Formats: sequence, structure tokens, C-alpha cells
Amino acid sequence: MNPFNRVFWRPRVTDEVDEELAFHAEMRARELIAGGMDPADARREAQRRLDGLGRTRRSLHALGADRNQHMARMQYAGELRQDIVFTLRQLVKNPGFAAIAILTLALGIGATTAIFSAVYAVVLQPLPLRDPSRLLLVGEIWEGRPQVMSVGNYVDTNAAVPDFDNGLAAVNYANYNLADETAPERVVGARVTFNYFDVMGVRPMLGRTFSADEDRPGNDQVVVLSHRLWTRRFGSVASALGRPLRMNGVTYEIVGVMPEWFDLSIDSEELWTPIAFTDAQRAMHDEHYLAVYGRLKPGVSRQQAQGRLDAVAARLRHDFPKDDETVSFGMVPFVEQFVGDVRPRLLTLLAAVSLVLLIACGNVANLLLARGAVRAREIAVRTALGAGRGRIVRQLLTESVVLALAAAVAGLVLAREFLTALMAWSPSNVPRLEQAHIDPIALGFAMAIALASSILCGLAPALRASRRDLHSGLRDGGRGSTGGLRDRLRGTLIVAEVALSLLLLVGAGLLIRSAIALQRTDTGFEPQGVLSARLTLPVTSFTEPAHIVETLRRIDEAAAAVPGVASAAISSYAAMGGGGGTNGLVPEGREPVAANFINSTLRVITPSFFGTMGVRIVRGRNFNEDDRVGGQRVMIVSARLAAVAFPGQDPIGKRISCCEPGPGGFKTIIGVAADIRSRGPAIAPRPEFYLPIAQVPDVAWNWNRTMYVLVRTTGNPSALVQPLNAAVARIDRDLPLFDVKTMDERLARSLATSRFNTLLLTLLGAIGLALAASGIYGVIAYFVSQRTQEIGVRMALGATASSVVRLVLGQALRPVATGAVLGVAVALGASRVLSSQLFGVSPTDPLTIAAVLATLIGVAMLASIVPARRAAAIDPTRALQSE
Amino acid sequence: MTNDQRTSTELLHGTLDTLVLKTLTAGRRHGYGIARAIEDATDGVVEIEEGSLYPALYRMERKGWVEAEWGHSELGRRAKFYRLTPKGRRQLTAQSADWARFAAAISRVLITP
Repeated sequence: MNPFNRVFWRPRVTDEVDEELAFHAEMRARELIAGGMDPADARREAQRRLDGLGRTRRSLHALGADRNQHMARMQYAGELRQDIVFTLRQLVKNPGFAAIAILTLALGIGATTAIFSAVYAVVLQPLPLRDPSRLLLVGEIWEGRPQVMSVGNYVDTNAAVPDFDNGLAAVNYANYNLADETAPERVVGARVTFNYFDVMGVRPMLGRTFSADEDRPGNDQVVVLSHRLWTRRFGSVASALGRPLRMNGVTYEIVGVMPEWFDLSIDSEELWTPIAFTDAQRAMHDEHYLAVYGRLKPGVSRQQAQGRLDAVAARLRHDFPKDDETVSFGMVPFVEQFVGDVRPRLLTLLAAVSLVLLIACGNVANLLLARGAVRAREIAVRTALGAGRGRIVRQLLTESVVLALAAAVAGLVLAREFLTALMAWSPSNVPRLEQAHIDPIALGFAMAIALASSILCGLAPALRASRRDLHSGLRDGGRGSTGGLRDRLRGTLIVAEVALSLLLLVGAGLLIRSAIALQRTDTGFEPQGVLSARLTLPVTSFTEPAHIVETLRRIDEAAAAVPGVASAAISSYAAMGGGGGTNGLVPEGREPVAANFINSTLRVITPSFFGTMGVRIVRGRNFNEDDRVGGQRVMIVSARLAAVAFPGQDPIGKRISCCEPGPGGFKTIIGVAADIRSRGPAIAPRPEFYLPIAQVPDVAWNWNRTMYVLVRTTGNPSALVQPLNAAVARIDRDLPLFDVKTMDERLARSLATSRFNTLLLTLLGAIGLALAASGIYGVIAYFVSQRTQEIGVRMALGATASSVVRLVLGQALRPVATGAVLGVAVALGASRVLSSQLFGVSPTDPLTIAAVLATLIGVAMLASIVPARRAAAIDPTRALQSE
Repeated sequence: MTNDQRTSTELLHGTLDTLVLKTLTAGRRHGYGIARAIEDATDGVVEIEEGSLYPALYRMERKGWVEAEWGHSELGRRAKFYRLTPKGRRQLTAQSADWARFAAAISRVLITP
């Protein structure tokens, strides 16, 4: 049956039609009898006519049903219009209530929508790749996760595992110096196997990708441009195809341009060249640097592919016991690897902002409850006039839906502002955040949460209001009927709001404590006053290691001579930036097998590095001019490496093998440097070692040709950017400096994500606290206004002002205390989700919880002291007369 | 041949509605009363069949031109009565005017020698 037919009472259509036609037939029969026909004949004649009306009867059934439906709908629409008009009139009559309710909800909806938009863009929005769930990163397991592969392992795996469409593709990300008639520029590119684009599932927008033939040494001077680079450097003209492009001193031919959507994020690579492995590289199972991707064939499960990868790994362990002693392979979806650890952070934020929305809902529910009480008389009158309970509830819900929709509109405006601010403050390393905008999905989300919150806010008050008994409503005008039930509901709302804001504040408090701890962490170097820049020595123009060393020495001298520079240094790696390869070290006396390797970060430096960076030599001596080719081969180790390699012994004079095979690999330790937190203040120092640039084995220039130029000044390091550029250009004008930043900037950048999260969660905590405080204030003020008479009586009977204040505060603090206890209990369990973002503080840190409790109870006291004082100022005589 | 089929083409399209509305200007009537009123007023020239009358009434009820309610007939029998709504009254005025123009035009054609 159609639901509308049930809305209001009517006889069933079939009965209606039958009765109406029967009546007609009977009247016809009477007519015939009156005209002189025999009554029996007349009845038969009438019945005959009636029987002939079969078709009419059926069409009347249909018409009647249609009419009923139409009329029910009209009635419903009419009532809805009435309700809406009534609501709007009510809201205009109470602009204060309307404004507070709409703004409260808008704040919650706006914040939630903004964060949702960010989460959607970064995490939820599907990558534009074809069938992204089948695209996997395949890698050697390292520290529990699949990571990069060696070329030999990639080649052997690709040959042995048939489960991937177009095979496995390998990528080596690399930096390129672009130089042609336009300005020199430094871009991130990727050297890829020819099947890379097929594996990713992308076709060029213009031109072509690489052939298998071009993926061979000597044939590989072809380049495919990203849409971004093509637009920026070639003005989006198709004639860019076939043009030459000088990259790192070699001329490449532009053969293709990728579509815009393949710019997966703002910092993804901007060009691709064939990787063109040499036979020597194909045989190399050490040196792990390839990112390997594969697309599972349809019908092949990850378990099947994993099984085959395991078999290959077993064979590799057997065939290459030295390089692949512990190798095993694993897979993660490309998307997961692409989004990385941003996901849990954003989801935490979304959870936090939902708490704020819930608190906002609690407040609005409180407002509606208070209004419900004030309007008890009106509702009683309507009930007396015949409005059913359903009708009353519908009217009250209409009111909250109207409020929520108004709040959604205001919330969308706020959401745009919030999102703009969010994007402006957020660290730059959040992939795809730049794509976040308030779009139809966000709009739908805002509308959905608006409706959900309106029902959440409005249903309990509406049911409560409609359940009031008629007589008391009419009798006392809704004044004294503060039933225990409703007080309990209001109390429950306060309990929930306090618990939720406590949860938020504990999260914010823990992050703030972490931020303070990070700020206080000794990074092992002094970043203030240091400017850092990088340059790359192209393979083509720097073939001789001696030439490289000589050029770097001259650049070092030129940098030191820049006015204002106190000291300058060259290093293969600084801290909190790109670069920093690792080597497996073996202390003398241990077997050179993989299990004995100590993976350590290498810095090739000029002796002035320690002075320039402010790193202390804690034992032994620094490098000096005597540490050169032909002299004793020396190294400096970090305190951490010393502790791992020679626990409990003096490392000075001990020898460690590294970086090159044979007896020449042994280097004597001459000094121990303080540990540096190279990967950021939150990450514990790893073993590191230093080699003097003058003694670097030639092979090291195959690993890395990008060096840092570091200068320290007593003044403002940013002022040195121009002079330093000029000084380097005077040595070699084809060596552009890039990634020029002060060390303070690098440090700030490494902390940017956690700072951003701290800031946001603190902000959300503050909003939550403010909302909860206004909720408490509202409830207590209402309590006082309802109890004016009772308080008057108490005062007339001799109660002092302070005892009245105590009474009111007691009323307020009971639900606050309950909420606080509840909140602490939940926080103790829930704060663990933050543990990956915490530093130097436990998720159940008692100090944080105590501070939050004190803040919350203090604010609750403040929120209730105003109505409490008002209660104490009640004039008993007037209070008693007021009724 | 059944009643349904014979009556459907006997009246000019839309004229039945106008006639029904007109009979209701005098007050509420049940379906049979409406049919009789029209037949009496036309001296039996126009005969109203149930097969066209009731569908017309149901349609007009949906359009809001007439309202129906259950009551008791002059003989005490339960019957459904129809009453003209303000919307129906406006409709009647418009349709009467249309009809007058139409009839005048036809007359001019037929009477002109």
C-alpha cells in the first residue's frame, strides 16, 4: 500500500467505488419503479446496468487511488510548508537563539567539511591510475617493509615471475640539470625501464614512450616530459616533440609528453628517460636503489605472486650468498606507498574534528531542549487542538533540519576559509593536498552531516517535548515542570561534551608536550647561522676523480672567501635534506658477511665540516691537510657507530673496512664525532661515519655526485644566498646551486608536519573547550532561571549567598566530574592512536592528563560562576511574588 | 454494447465537466443527483451515464475542483456528496465563457444564410 494513504483516514477506494455505484443503481431502480415498472423488473434492470460497469469500476479504482495519493501528498507538502514557515517565524522572533545555534553548528560543520576535503583529496580520492588496487610496489624487505631493490635482483625477479602484466618496471629517481637557451633549471626525473608506462597504465598525450631498443646503453638519449614540465618550459606547444633537451650535459630528444593527470602530486617527477642497464649493472646484486612496480595480472592473487617471489628469493639467497644472504621480497599497494604515513595523521584529525562536531551538536541539543521547555505551553495547545505526537515531533524536527541546513550553508563558507588556511599552513610534503577543494563531494558530505546532526540534535528534545503531559503544560505554562527526566538528559549532554572535549584536549596536550620535547632535543649540530646548498657534478664534464676533488676544493675556498662567511665546508650530506647514502661497514677482525655489516651513513667532507656545522669531536682529532692520498687512510666515526662497532672499547686506532674491497678498504679511526639526528629531531641517531674528501675512493663518485656547500655566518645566513651563488658561478658557471636553504629552515621543515598537527589539534581542542564551556553555561543558567522561586525560598529561610553559589556550582560540577572521569577513561585507551606522532611523552602521560583536567574543571567553574552569582543575587521577595 | 462504450462520445469533450460544475453551484449533490439534475435541465436530451460521470467526478476531485464527503441522502441512505470548491467555481466561469464563445461561433456558421 502506498505510504501516503496511511497518512490520513479514508475508506478504501474499492469500498468507496462499490458503494457509490450501488447507490446510483438503487436510485435508478427507484426512478423506474416511480415510472410504473414492476419493482422486481426494475431491480433486475438496475443490477444489469451495474454489472455492465466493470470497466468503469476498474478505472475508478485507479483514479481513486491516484486521487488519494495526490491529496495525501498535497496535505504533506502543505504541512511541511506550514512547519517551515512556522520555524522561520520562530527563528526571526528569537534571533539570538537562531544565531547561536546556527553558528555553533556551522563551526562544527565547517571544520569537519574542511578536514574531510583534505582527507578526501589525500587519502580517499582514488588515484587516476587504471585499476590502482592491482598496482603494487615490489621490493626487498628492509626494516619490515618492502623497499628498494638491486638491479641484479630486479632483473632476476622480472625474468622468473610471470604474474605481472607487462612484467615488473624499475624506477631510479634522479636529479637533472636542464640547460638550453632558457635558464638552467634543476628538476627531479626518473630513469625507468621501457615497460614502466604500460605497468602504470598511462599512455602519452603526445608522441610516444620508449621502445625496448631504446632501453639499452647508447640508445637511451630520449626523454618523455611530464605535462607540468612541458607547460612550464615549452609553453605547451606540440612542436616540442623532436626538440633536443640538454640534461646533465647530454643531449636528449623529446619523444613524448604525458597527460596532465599523470602529475600525481606536486613534487612527483617531471621527466623520464630509459634506465638502460649495462650488463655489469644487470649482474650487480649489491647496491639497492630501484623502486620496482608491478601490476598483477587479472585472476592472479597476491598470495600466488608472493609464493613465486619467495621462490625467487630462496634461489637468490643460494646463488648470491654474499649480496643476497638475507634477501626476501614483499609487496604493498602503490597507493599506500604513495600516501605514506600521512594517512593515520589525517584520519586522527578527522576523528578529532568529528568530536568537535559532536560537541557542537550537544550544545544545539541543549539549546533546543531549553526552547522545548519554554515552548511547552505552545506544544500543549497544539496537542489539545488535535495535533498528534508524530505531527509535533515532525514539526520540531523540521525546525532542527532548517537550523542544520542554514548551518550547512554558513558551514560551507567557513569550510572554504578553513581549507585555505589549512593548505597555507600545512607542510609541503603532504601529497595531493593541493588538489583539495570544496567540491560536490564535500558539499554532499556537509549536507549529510548537517542532516545527521540535525536529527542527532533535534530528536531527543523533540521526543521529550512531545511526551509532556498535556495538563501540566497547560496548567503551569511550562514553568515548574522540570521533570527529573529532562534534567537527566541535560546532565547527560554535559557529561558527553566534557568527556569529548577532554579527549580532544588530552590529544592536543600530548602533541604540545611532544613539540616542546622536540624543540629541546639536541640535534648534535648548531643550525643557527648555517646556509646550505647543493650542486651536482655531471658525469660528462667531470670524468676524472682528481678533477672533481680539485673543483670542490676550489668551491670550498671560494665559499669561505665570501664576505661575512666565518667558515665553509663541502659535504656529501648535511642533515634533514636529500642525499645520505649508507654503506655496510665491517670492523676489523669480524667475518665480512652480511650479518656483520653495520649499515652506516657516509659523509664525504672537507675538514672544516665539523666547525661549520657545529658538530663536536668528542674523542681523538679532526681530519687535517695531512690526510691525503698516499697517507694513512683515516675515518671519523659517530659516537653511535663507535658504540655498535667497538662496545666498551676505545675506538681510536681501530680499523674498519668499508666502501672498497681488499686490504685498501681498511681505514683507521682517528676521531669520534658527536651523534647527529640527521633525519630529524624525532628520529634517533643512526651509525654514521666520515671520510676526508682527499682520500675518497674513486668508486664513491659513481654513487653520488651531488654535494652540499655549507657556510656559517654570524649574521643572517639568508643574506649569503646571492654572494654564494656568484662565488660558485665564478668557479664553474654550469654548476647551478639548488635546494638552497638555511639549516634552520631544514630543521623547521622536518618538524613542519608534527607542528601542523599540533597546531590543528590544539585549535580543535580550544574550539571544543569553548563549545563545552558555553554548553555548561547554558545549562546552569537555565537551571538558575528555573529554580528562581526555590532559591528565593531558601534565601528567605536563611540560606546565605555563598551557600546558594555552592548549590549551583554543585549542580554544575556533578556532570562535569562524571564527564571528566569518563573522558579520562576513554583517553587512556584512545590516546594510543597518537603514539606514532608522540615524542618523549607516553600516551598516558599523567602530567598532561592532570593539566587537562585542571583546565577543563577551571573553565567549567568559570562558566558556571556567572549564573551562580546571579542566583545568589536573587531578591527573595521578588522571586516569591513573580508567579 | 455496454453502457460504458455508448456514452463516451455522446458529449463534447469537456462539456460534461462544465455541466457537472454548473449543477453543483446550487449546493452539494451526490452523483445520481448530479445526473438527474442535468437530465431534468435538458428535458432528457442529455443522458448522463455512470461510465462517464464518475470518472469525471474523480478527476475533478483530484484537480481540486470539487470536494467529496460522505453524508446521508434524502432517503436516509449513506451517499457520497460532491461540493464545488472556489477553484472549481473559477473553472466553471472560465469554461462557461469558452462555451458561450464556441456556441456563438457555431451559431453564426449555421444561421448565416
